[in-house]
Amino acid sequence: MYYLFAAYAVFWGLTFAYVFTIASRQKRLEKEIETLSRSLTKDQA
Amino acid sequence: MAFLNKTLAIVWKDVVAELRTREMLSSMLVFSLLVTVIFSFSFDLRVENIAQVAPGVLWVTFAFASTLELNRALALEMENDCLDGLILAPMDRSVIYFGKMLGNLIFISAIEALMLPIFSVVFDLNLLQPSLLLVVFLGTIGFAAVGTLLSAMAVNTRAREVMLPVLLFPIILPVVISAAKVTGGILDGVPLSELARWVQFLVAFDVIFLVVSYMTFDFVVQG
Amino acid sequence: MTKKLRIDDLLNWLSGLSIMAALYLVFVYAPTEATMGDVQRIFYFHVSSAWVGFFAFFVTLIGGIAYLRGRNRDWDTLALSSVEIGITFTSMAVITGSIWAKATWNAWWPWQQEPRLVLVSILLLLYLAYLMLRSFLEGEERKARFAAVYGIVAFVSVPFTFMSIRWWQGLHPVVFEREGMHLAPTMLATFLFCLVAFTILYFTLLLHRVRLGRLEDQLIGLKERLRQGAGG
Repeated sequence: MYYLFAAYAVFWGLTFAYVFTIASRQKRLEKEIETLSRSLTKDQA
Repeated sequence: MAFLNKTLAIVWKDVVAELRTREMLSSMLVFSLLVTVIFSFSFDLRVENIAQVAPGVLWVTFAFASTLELNRALALEMENDCLDGLILAPMDRSVIYFGKMLGNLIFISAIEALMLPIFSVVFDLNLLQPSLLLVVFLGTIGFAAVGTLLSAMAVNTRAREVMLPVLLFPIILPVVISAAKVTGGILDGVPLSELARWVQFLVAFDVIFLVVSYMTFDFVVQG
Repeated sequence: MTKKLRIDDLLNWLSGLSIMAALYLVFVYAPTEATMGDVQRIFYFHVSSAWVGFFAFFVTLIGGIAYLRGRNRDWDTLALSSVEIGITFTSMAVITGSIWAKATWNAWWPWQQEPRLVLVSILLLLYLAYLMLRSFLEGEERKARFAAVYGIVAFVSVPFTFMSIRWWQGLHPVVFEREGMHLAPTMLATFLFCLVAFTILYFTLLLHRVRLGRLEDQLIGLKERLRQGAGG
């Protein structure tokens, strides 16, 4: 029973860890893109 | 015919260059000897009959020596931009693949030819049997076929010496497994007919990876 | 754009619901296995994650071939995304497999009994090498090109590795054959449902990861424009 619990904990742990890395990378990229495009439009103006 | 001549020209260039310095062969030989010595000492502590682990030691040594050779062969081409010269030469890129592959095959086989008698003495086994030589040859083709392609990728990376084994070992694992298995079988006196499927397996690996590497090599050397 | 968002939401909900339903089936609906007991319930998610791993690496192979043919960056993004997801799921399969082995054979690593577990861990190593190759290369175009070639070579080697491991352990007696396990119809239904649920989860993750890859490309493009603007 303990092993069963451990195995499913591994499933949830890894899935959430991966979703979390995607989400955090996405946030960082969006931020960066925003600052960059803002500075680009400022340059052109 | 022109294809063959051009391929042989590349092989000949490599052989002549090596015979002038003998850098690669001597370093490979010393390296292989050291690996053998380290293995025999580390096993001696626990293994009763060292001949039992001989096939494994043999193939691990060959695999290590092959990576050394493959790294060196392409690194030499990168120095002074020799590879660019080869690519610019008026010939099909697959000629470069087969030329380098044959060169690697010759050098690795040369080391193996030197190592087999030494192994026979160290492990007190008769390793110079025709069927065993065939297996060694088939395994070496497998190493060279994949190794030539992957070393062409590895030389373009940072930390190239580390990259080749990381890329190569998981792919040549079936060769090492099957070759070690057949070697062990032959040493145990198992009739060759029982080992036939392993030999067929090695041949299939060699053929398929020669074809795949030949088809993809173009994408590795361009640009 | 609105249509795309809808697909997104649909997949999110669908994968969430199907995983929940799969959990219900695994823990409540499926009967307890006679000889192994409750531990057998690891089987459903373990095999499903291994399946997603294989499937993901197959998608990488397709992405690699398509990239080399047309040189469309999106194919490379797809291949890389699929490798990341594949690695996540194969690690899952390796760890849950090891836990299961401990429960059934009282050994964490059953070299002899379970060749497939060894195979999956070699898959994991292969594609970790794929990621390493990318991180040690310079230039997006070269990364994509070399990775595509390695993705092809790696996938071609998988059947060979499987065969050699299978035959290699053939000389040892098989102590306990997992296939021999009797799969009752309800168990089979649960198992098939888990496969479907995991596949949906895979596509959901893939969609998000590919979108992330697109953003990365966009960022690289912006940086390039900025550099040119600064230079010119």
